[in-house]
Amino acid sequence: MITRDIGHSGEIACHSCDLLVHVGTLRHGESASCPRCGCFLTRYRDDAYHRILAFASAGLLFLVLANSYSFLSFSSTGLESVMTLRETPGALWNNDMPGVAMLVTAFIIVIPAGVLLLMLALSSALIQGIYHPWLAPIAKSVFLAQNWSMVEVFIIGVIVSLVKIAAMATVVVGASFWAYTAFAICFTAAVANLDRYQCWERIEALGAG
Amino acid sequence: MTALTTAANRGLASCHVCYKLAPTTVHQCPRCGSTMHLRKNDSIQRTLALLVTACLLYIPANLYPIMYTDQLGSTEASTIMGGVILLIELGSAPIAMVIFIFSVMVPSGKLMAMFYLVWTVKRHSPLDPRQRSIMYRVTEFIGKWSMVDVFVVSILVALVHLGGLLVIRPGVAALSFAGVVIVTMIAAESFDSRLIWDNMEEKNSDN
Repeated sequence: MITRDIGHSGEIACHSCDLLVHVGTLRHGESASCPRCGCFLTRYRDDAYHRILAFASAGLLFLVLANSYSFLSFSSTGLESVMTLRETPGALWNNDMPGVAMLVTAFIIVIPAGVLLLMLALSSALIQGIYHPWLAPIAKSVFLAQNWSMVEVFIIGVIVSLVKIAAMATVVVGASFWAYTAFAICFTAAVANLDRYQCWERIEALGAG
Repeated sequence: MTALTTAANRGLASCHVCYKLAPTTVHQCPRCGSTMHLRKNDSIQRTLALLVTACLLYIPANLYPIMYTDQLGSTEASTIMGGVILLIELGSAPIAMVIFIFSVMVPSGKLMAMFYLVWTVKRHSPLDPRQRSIMYRVTEFIGKWSMVDVFVVSILVALVHLGGLLVIRPGVAALSFAGVVIVTMIAAESFDSRLIWDNMEEKNSDN
Protein backbone atom coordinates (compact mmCIF):
# COMPACT_ATOMS: atom_id res chain seq x y z
CA MET A 1 0.00 0.00 0.00
CA ILE A 2 1.42 3.32 -1.03
CA THR A 3 0.96 6.04 1.53
CA ARG A 4 0.67 9.66 0.49
CA ASP A 5 3.93 11.43 1.03
CA ILE A 6 4.38 15.15 1.24
CA GLY A 7 7.19 17.17 2.75
CA HIS A 8 7.12 18.19 6.36
CA SER A 9 6.56 21.75 5.23
CA GLY A 10 5.17 21.08 1.73
CA GLU A 11 7.37 23.89 0.42
CA ILE A 12 9.62 23.98 -2.64
CA ALA A 13 12.08 26.71 -3.58
CA CYS A 14 11.62 27.19 -7.34
CA HIS A 15 14.93 26.09 -8.85
CA SER A 16 14.58 28.68 -11.58
CA CYS A 17 13.89 31.82 -9.49
CA ASP A 18 14.23 30.72 -5.81
CA LEU A 19 10.66 31.71 -4.90
CA LEU A 20 9.28 29.71 -1.97
CA VAL A 21 6.14 27.96 -3.16
CA HIS A 22 3.75 26.16 -0.83
CA VAL A 23 2.81 23.03 -2.75
CA GLY A 24 0.89 21.23 -0.03
CA THR A 25 -0.78 17.93 -0.84
CA LEU A 26 -1.31 17.24 -4.52
CA ARG A 27 -3.96 14.82 -5.70
CA HIS A 28 -3.40 12.22 -8.43
CA GLY A 29 -2.57 13.94 -11.72
CA GLU A 30 -2.17 17.42 -10.24
CA SER A 31 0.93 19.45 -10.92
CA ALA A 32 2.45 22.65 -9.55
CA SER A 33 4.26 25.47 -11.34
CA CYS A 34 6.02 28.54 -10.02
CA PRO A 35 3.61 31.53 -9.99
CA ARG A 36 6.45 34.00 -10.61
CA CYS A 37 8.52 32.51 -13.43
CA GLY A 38 6.23 29.74 -14.71
CA CYS A 39 8.79 26.96 -14.18
CA PHE A 40 7.34 23.46 -13.70
CA LEU A 41 7.84 22.30 -10.11
CA THR A 42 6.30 18.90 -9.45
CA ARG A 43 3.52 16.48 -10.39
CA TYR A 44 1.97 13.78 -8.23
CA ARG A 45 0.73 10.44 -9.61
CA ASP A 46 -0.51 7.53 -7.50
CA ASP A 47 0.84 4.98 -9.96
CA ALA A 48 4.08 6.77 -10.95
CA TYR A 49 6.43 3.98 -9.77
CA HIS A 50 4.32 1.25 -11.34
CA ARG A 51 4.47 3.11 -14.64
CA ILE A 52 8.24 3.59 -14.30
CA LEU A 53 8.72 -0.11 -13.53
CA ALA A 54 6.67 -1.08 -16.59
CA PHE A 55 8.32 1.35 -19.02
CA ALA A 56 11.84 0.67 -17.72
CA SER A 57 11.57 -3.12 -18.04
CA ALA A 58 9.95 -2.87 -21.49
CA GLY A 59 12.64 -0.40 -22.56
CA LEU A 60 15.47 -2.71 -21.48
CA LEU A 61 13.91 -5.61 -23.42
CA PHE A 62 13.63 -3.44 -26.53
CA LEU A 63 17.28 -2.40 -26.13
CA VAL A 64 18.34 -6.06 -26.09
CA LEU A 65 16.30 -6.64 -29.27
CA ALA A 66 17.79 -3.51 -30.86
CA ASN A 67 21.24 -5.00 -30.35
CA SER A 68 20.30 -8.38 -31.83
CA TYR A 69 19.32 -7.60 -35.45
CA SER A 70 20.45 -5.40 -38.31
CA PHE A 71 19.72 -1.71 -37.92
CA LEU A 72 19.96 -0.51 -41.51
CA SER A 73 21.25 -2.15 -44.67
CA PHE A 74 22.54 -0.41 -47.74
CA SER A 75 22.96 -1.89 -51.20
CA SER A 76 24.20 -0.57 -54.50
CA THR A 77 25.10 -2.39 -57.75
CA GLY A 78 25.01 -5.83 -56.16
CA LEU A 79 27.15 -4.90 -53.14
CA GLU A 80 25.60 -4.72 -49.70
CA SER A 81 26.68 -3.37 -46.34
CA VAL A 82 24.81 -3.78 -43.08
CA MET A 83 24.91 -1.61 -39.98
CA THR A 84 24.17 -2.98 -36.51
CA LEU A 85 23.90 -0.91 -33.36
CA ARG A 86 26.83 -2.69 -31.70
CA GLU A 87 29.21 -2.15 -34.62
CA THR A 88 28.47 1.57 -35.00
CA PRO A 89 31.06 2.76 -32.43
CA GLY A 90 33.57 0.23 -33.77
CA ALA A 91 33.41 1.77 -37.24
CA LEU A 92 34.27 5.20 -35.79
CA TRP A 93 37.02 3.67 -33.64
CA ASN A 94 38.62 2.06 -36.72
CA ASN A 95 38.56 5.42 -38.47
CA ASP A 96 40.83 7.00 -35.81
CA MET A 97 37.91 8.58 -33.93
CA PRO A 98 38.00 6.79 -30.54
CA GLY A 99 36.75 9.93 -28.76
CA VAL A 100 33.63 10.29 -30.88
CA ALA A 101 33.09 6.50 -30.73
CA MET A 102 33.05 6.53 -26.92
CA LEU A 103 30.83 9.62 -26.72
CA VAL A 104 28.29 8.16 -29.16
CA THR A 105 28.21 4.82 -27.27
CA ALA A 106 27.73 6.63 -23.98
CA PHE A 107 24.93 8.89 -25.23
CA ILE A 108 22.88 6.32 -27.11
CA ILE A 109 23.46 3.03 -25.23
CA VAL A 110 25.44 3.13 -21.97
CA ILE A 111 23.83 6.13 -20.22
CA PRO A 112 20.20 5.34 -21.21
CA ALA A 113 20.62 1.64 -20.32
CA GLY A 114 22.23 2.55 -16.99
CA VAL A 115 19.46 5.02 -16.18
CA LEU A 116 16.78 2.40 -16.95
CA LEU A 117 18.50 -0.25 -14.80
CA LEU A 118 18.78 2.15 -11.87
CA MET A 119 15.16 3.26 -12.33
CA LEU A 120 14.12 -0.39 -12.23
CA ALA A 121 15.80 -0.84 -8.85
CA LEU A 122 14.51 2.50 -7.56
CA SER A 123 10.89 2.00 -8.60
CA SER A 124 10.63 -1.57 -7.31
CA ALA A 125 12.00 -0.52 -3.91
CA LEU A 126 9.59 2.43 -3.76
CA ILE A 127 6.61 0.26 -4.74
CA GLN A 128 7.43 -2.26 -2.02
CA GLY A 129 7.93 0.60 0.43
CA ILE A 130 11.19 -0.78 1.80
CA TYR A 131 14.02 1.57 2.70
CA HIS A 132 17.53 0.68 1.51
CA PRO A 133 20.67 2.71 2.18
CA TRP A 134 21.43 2.60 -1.59
CA LEU A 135 18.23 4.44 -2.55
CA ALA A 136 19.70 7.93 -2.17
CA PRO A 137 22.89 7.31 -4.22
CA ILE A 138 20.85 5.55 -6.94
CA ALA A 139 18.29 8.36 -7.17
CA LYS A 140 21.13 10.87 -7.27
CA SER A 141 22.81 9.08 -10.19
CA VAL A 142 19.51 8.82 -12.09
CA PHE A 143 18.85 12.57 -11.80
CA LEU A 144 22.42 13.46 -12.75
CA ALA A 145 22.60 11.09 -15.74
CA GLN A 146 19.18 11.46 -17.32
CA ASN A 147 19.98 14.79 -19.04
CA TRP A 148 22.86 13.10 -20.88
CA SER A 149 20.82 10.48 -22.66
CA MET A 150 20.26 11.26 -26.34
CA VAL A 151 18.05 8.41 -27.57
CA GLU A 152 15.46 10.68 -29.20
CA VAL A 153 18.18 12.75 -30.90
CA PHE A 154 19.65 9.54 -32.33
CA ILE A 155 16.28 8.60 -33.86
CA ILE A 156 16.19 11.97 -35.68
CA GLY A 157 19.79 11.27 -36.76
CA VAL A 158 18.72 7.94 -38.31
CA ILE A 159 15.87 9.59 -40.24
CA VAL A 160 18.17 12.34 -41.55
CA SER A 161 20.76 9.72 -42.62
CA LEU A 162 18.08 7.73 -44.43
CA VAL A 163 17.06 10.73 -46.51
CA LYS A 164 20.69 11.71 -47.11
CA ILE A 165 21.68 8.40 -48.70
CA ALA A 166 18.35 7.34 -50.19
CA ALA A 167 19.44 9.09 -53.39
CA MET A 168 22.70 7.08 -53.62
CA ALA A 169 21.37 3.55 -53.20
CA THR A 170 18.66 1.35 -51.76
CA VAL A 171 18.38 1.52 -47.97
CA VAL A 172 16.37 -1.01 -45.98
CA VAL A 173 15.29 -0.41 -42.39
CA GLY A 174 15.93 -3.45 -40.16
CA ALA A 175 14.14 -4.86 -37.11
CA SER A 176 16.65 -3.20 -34.77
CA PHE A 177 15.56 0.25 -35.88
CA TRP A 178 11.97 -0.42 -34.80
CA ALA A 179 13.15 -1.98 -31.53
CA TYR A 180 15.35 1.07 -30.85
CA THR A 181 12.43 3.43 -31.59
CA ALA A 182 10.29 1.49 -29.08
CA PHE A 183 13.19 1.69 -26.61
CA ALA A 184 13.38 5.48 -27.08
CA ILE A 185 9.63 5.83 -26.46
CA CYS A 186 9.78 3.67 -23.29
CA PHE A 187 12.83 5.58 -22.04
CA THR A 188 11.14 8.95 -22.53
CA ALA A 189 7.94 7.73 -20.84
CA ALA A 190 9.86 6.29 -17.87
CA VAL A 191 11.82 9.53 -17.35
CA ALA A 192 8.67 11.64 -17.74
CA ASN A 193 6.98 9.70 -14.92
CA LEU A 194 9.83 10.16 -12.46
CA ASP A 195 9.20 13.37 -10.52
CA ARG A 196 12.26 14.65 -8.70
CA TYR A 197 10.53 16.30 -5.75
CA GLN A 198 8.00 13.48 -5.12
CA CYS A 199 10.68 10.80 -5.46
CA TRP A 200 12.95 12.41 -2.87
CA GLU A 201 10.09 13.12 -0.49
CA ARG A 202 9.16 9.43 -0.69
CA ILE A 203 12.71 8.25 -0.08
CA GLU A 204 12.93 10.55 2.93
CA ALA A 205 9.58 9.35 4.29
CA LEU A 206 10.71 5.72 3.95
CA GLY A 207 14.00 6.49 5.67
CA ALA A 208 12.28 8.22 8.57
CA GLY A 209 9.71 5.53 9.21
CA MET B 1 6.24 41.91 -4.85
CA THR B 2 6.29 42.23 -1.08
CA ALA B 3 4.16 39.12 -0.53
CA LEU B 4 6.66 36.92 -2.35
CA THR B 5 9.45 35.40 -0.28
CA THR B 6 12.43 33.60 -1.73
CA ALA B 7 14.27 30.80 0.00
CA ALA B 8 17.33 33.05 0.29
CA ASN B 9 15.28 35.70 2.15
CA ARG B 10 14.40 33.09 4.74
CA GLY B 11 18.00 31.92 5.06
CA LEU B 12 17.29 28.65 3.27
CA ALA B 13 19.25 27.00 0.46
CA SER B 14 17.72 24.49 -1.93
CA CYS B 15 19.67 21.32 -2.81
CA HIS B 16 20.49 21.16 -6.57
CA VAL B 17 19.91 17.42 -6.70
CA CYS B 18 16.90 16.72 -4.48
CA TYR B 19 15.33 20.20 -3.84
CA LYS B 20 15.63 19.73 -0.05
CA LEU B 21 15.46 23.01 1.83
CA ALA B 22 18.05 23.49 4.54
CA PRO B 23 19.51 26.50 6.42
CA THR B 24 22.42 28.12 4.55
CA THR B 25 24.73 27.15 7.43
CA VAL B 26 24.40 23.47 6.42
CA HIS B 27 27.02 22.48 3.83
CA GLN B 28 25.93 18.95 3.05
CA CYS B 29 22.40 18.05 2.04
CA PRO B 30 20.77 16.10 4.91
CA ARG B 31 18.72 14.07 2.41
CA CYS B 32 20.98 13.14 -0.51
CA GLY B 33 24.45 14.08 0.70
CA SER B 34 25.26 16.54 -2.11
CA THR B 35 27.22 19.70 -1.35
CA MET B 36 24.83 22.59 -0.76
CA HIS B 37 25.21 26.15 -1.98
CA LEU B 38 22.88 29.12 -1.82
CA ARG B 39 23.75 29.74 -5.49
CA LYS B 40 25.91 27.65 -7.82
CA ASN B 41 29.60 28.35 -7.17
CA ASP B 42 31.22 31.01 -9.40
CA SER B 43 28.35 30.54 -11.81
CA ILE B 44 29.12 33.54 -14.05
CA GLN B 45 32.87 32.89 -14.32
CA ARG B 46 32.44 29.18 -15.05
CA THR B 47 29.71 29.75 -17.62
CA LEU B 48 31.75 32.44 -19.34
CA ALA B 49 34.89 30.27 -19.43
CA LEU B 50 32.95 27.35 -20.92
CA LEU B 51 31.27 29.62 -23.48
CA VAL B 52 34.65 30.92 -24.66
CA THR B 53 35.88 27.29 -24.95
CA ALA B 54 32.81 26.41 -27.01
CA CYS B 55 33.42 29.41 -29.32
CA LEU B 56 37.02 28.28 -29.91
CA LEU B 57 35.89 24.71 -30.69
CA TYR B 58 33.22 26.09 -32.99
CA ILE B 59 35.87 27.42 -35.42
CA PRO B 60 37.45 24.04 -36.39
CA ALA B 61 33.98 22.46 -36.27
CA ASN B 62 32.93 24.66 -39.18
CA LEU B 63 36.20 25.00 -41.11
CA TYR B 64 37.27 21.35 -41.23
CA PRO B 65 35.33 18.60 -43.03
CA ILE B 66 32.86 16.62 -40.90
CA MET B 67 32.97 13.67 -43.31
CA TYR B 68 34.68 12.37 -46.44
CA THR B 69 32.95 10.47 -49.26
CA ASP B 70 35.26 8.17 -51.27
CA GLN B 71 33.49 7.32 -54.50
CA LEU B 72 35.27 5.31 -57.23
CA GLY B 73 38.72 6.55 -56.29
CA SER B 74 37.90 10.22 -55.81
CA THR B 75 37.50 11.77 -52.36
CA GLU B 76 35.03 14.50 -51.55
CA ALA B 77 35.21 16.37 -48.23
CA SER B 78 32.13 18.08 -46.83
CA THR B 79 31.83 20.60 -44.02
CA ILE B 80 28.66 21.20 -42.00
CA MET B 81 27.50 24.05 -44.24
CA GLY B 82 28.66 22.13 -47.33
CA GLY B 83 26.37 19.27 -46.34
CA VAL B 84 23.41 21.62 -46.05
CA ILE B 85 24.09 23.11 -49.51
CA LEU B 86 24.52 19.64 -51.02
CA LEU B 87 21.15 18.55 -49.61
CA ILE B 88 19.44 21.60 -51.12
CA GLU B 89 21.03 20.78 -54.50
CA LEU B 90 19.82 17.18 -54.19
CA GLY B 91 16.33 18.55 -53.74
CA SER B 92 15.71 17.49 -50.14
CA ALA B 93 15.05 20.96 -48.74
CA PRO B 94 13.16 19.80 -45.60
CA ILE B 95 16.09 17.66 -44.42
CA ALA B 96 18.47 20.51 -45.30
CA MET B 97 16.35 22.70 -43.02
CA VAL B 98 16.55 20.12 -40.19
CA ILE B 99 20.35 19.96 -40.44
CA PHE B 100 20.60 23.75 -40.76
CA ILE B 101 18.44 24.33 -37.68
CA PHE B 102 20.14 21.71 -35.48
CA SER B 103 23.75 22.18 -36.59
CA VAL B 104 23.97 25.89 -37.41
CA MET B 105 21.13 27.82 -35.80
CA VAL B 106 20.84 25.93 -32.48
CA PRO B 107 24.55 25.96 -31.50
CA SER B 108 25.19 29.56 -32.54
CA GLY B 109 21.86 30.75 -31.15
CA LYS B 110 22.57 28.95 -27.92
CA LEU B 111 25.99 30.57 -27.56
CA MET B 112 24.50 34.01 -28.22
CA ALA B 113 21.62 33.44 -25.78
CA MET B 114 23.99 32.31 -23.01
CA PHE B 115 26.35 35.28 -23.59
CA TYR B 116 23.34 37.59 -23.49
CA LEU B 117 22.08 36.07 -20.20
CA VAL B 118 25.51 36.29 -18.56
CA TRP B 119 25.88 39.88 -19.76
CA THR B 120 22.46 40.99 -18.45
CA VAL B 121 23.13 39.34 -15.06
CA LYS B 122 26.53 41.04 -14.79
CA ARG B 123 25.05 44.42 -15.73
CA HIS B 124 22.14 43.98 -13.28
CA SER B 125 19.81 44.57 -16.20
CA PRO B 126 16.21 45.44 -15.34
CA LEU B 127 14.87 43.60 -18.44
CA ASP B 128 11.89 41.30 -17.86
CA PRO B 129 13.30 38.43 -15.75
CA ARG B 130 10.42 36.11 -16.62
CA GLN B 131 11.28 36.29 -20.33
CA ARG B 132 14.96 35.72 -19.60
CA SER B 133 14.04 32.71 -17.44
CA ILE B 134 12.06 31.22 -20.33
CA MET B 135 14.98 31.94 -22.68
CA TYR B 136 17.29 30.04 -20.33
CA ARG B 137 14.95 27.06 -20.07
CA VAL B 138 14.60 26.84 -23.87
CA THR B 139 18.39 27.05 -24.25
CA GLU B 140 18.88 24.31 -21.69
CA PHE B 141 16.27 22.06 -23.31
CA ILE B 142 17.41 22.46 -26.91
CA GLY B 143 21.14 21.90 -26.26
CA LYS B 144 21.49 18.20 -26.94
CA TRP B 145 19.57 18.34 -30.23
CA SER B 146 22.65 19.69 -32.01
CA MET B 147 24.20 16.22 -31.66
CA VAL B 148 22.08 15.12 -34.66
CA ASP B 149 24.87 15.87 -37.13
CA VAL B 150 27.43 13.85 -35.15
CA PHE B 151 25.00 10.90 -35.05
CA VAL B 152 24.36 11.21 -38.80
CA VAL B 153 28.10 10.96 -39.45
CA SER B 154 28.45 7.91 -37.14
CA ILE B 155 25.52 6.16 -38.84
CA LEU B 156 26.81 6.86 -42.35
CA VAL B 157 30.34 5.72 -41.44
CA ALA B 158 29.00 2.46 -39.99
CA LEU B 159 26.57 1.90 -42.84
CA VAL B 160 28.31 2.93 -46.04
CA HIS B 161 31.42 0.84 -46.69
CA LEU B 162 31.16 -0.82 -50.11
CA GLY B 163 34.82 -1.72 -50.73
CA GLY B 164 36.35 0.56 -53.38
CA LEU B 165 33.00 1.68 -54.70
CA LEU B 166 31.64 3.93 -51.98
CA VAL B 167 33.02 4.57 -48.48
CA ILE B 168 32.17 7.32 -45.97
CA ARG B 169 34.79 8.32 -43.38
CA PRO B 170 34.45 10.74 -40.42
CA GLY B 171 36.32 14.08 -40.37
CA VAL B 172 37.98 16.03 -37.53
CA ALA B 173 35.03 18.42 -37.31
CA ALA B 174 32.88 15.59 -35.91
CA LEU B 175 35.02 15.59 -32.75
CA SER B 176 35.17 19.38 -32.38
CA PHE B 177 31.45 19.69 -33.05
CA ALA B 178 30.65 17.05 -30.40
CA GLY B 179 32.92 19.13 -28.14
CA VAL B 180 30.91 22.30 -28.85
CA VAL B 181 27.65 20.55 -27.97
CA ILE B 182 28.98 19.02 -24.73
CA VAL B 183 30.74 22.18 -23.54
CA THR B 184 27.66 24.35 -24.18
CA MET B 185 25.53 21.81 -22.30
CA ILE B 186 27.87 22.06 -19.30
CA ALA B 187 27.86 25.86 -19.64
CA ALA B 188 24.05 25.91 -19.50
CA GLU B 189 24.16 23.62 -16.46
CA SER B 190 26.63 25.84 -14.58
CA PHE B 191 24.57 28.98 -15.16
CA ASP B 192 22.32 29.73 -12.20
CA SER B 193 19.06 31.26 -13.45
CA ARG B 194 18.19 32.45 -9.95
CA LEU B 195 20.81 35.19 -10.43
CA ILE B 196 18.44 36.79 -12.97
CA TRP B 197 15.87 37.21 -10.18
CA ASP B 198 18.36 38.13 -7.44
CA ASN B 199 19.24 41.29 -9.38
CA MET B 200 15.66 42.35 -9.48
CA GLU B 201 15.22 41.89 -5.75
CA GLU B 202 18.31 44.00 -5.04
CA LYS B 203 16.71 46.72 -7.19
CA ASN B 204 13.45 46.46 -5.25
CA SER B 205 15.11 46.70 -1.87
CA ASP B 206 17.14 49.74 -3.01
CA ASN B 207 14.01 51.73 -3.76
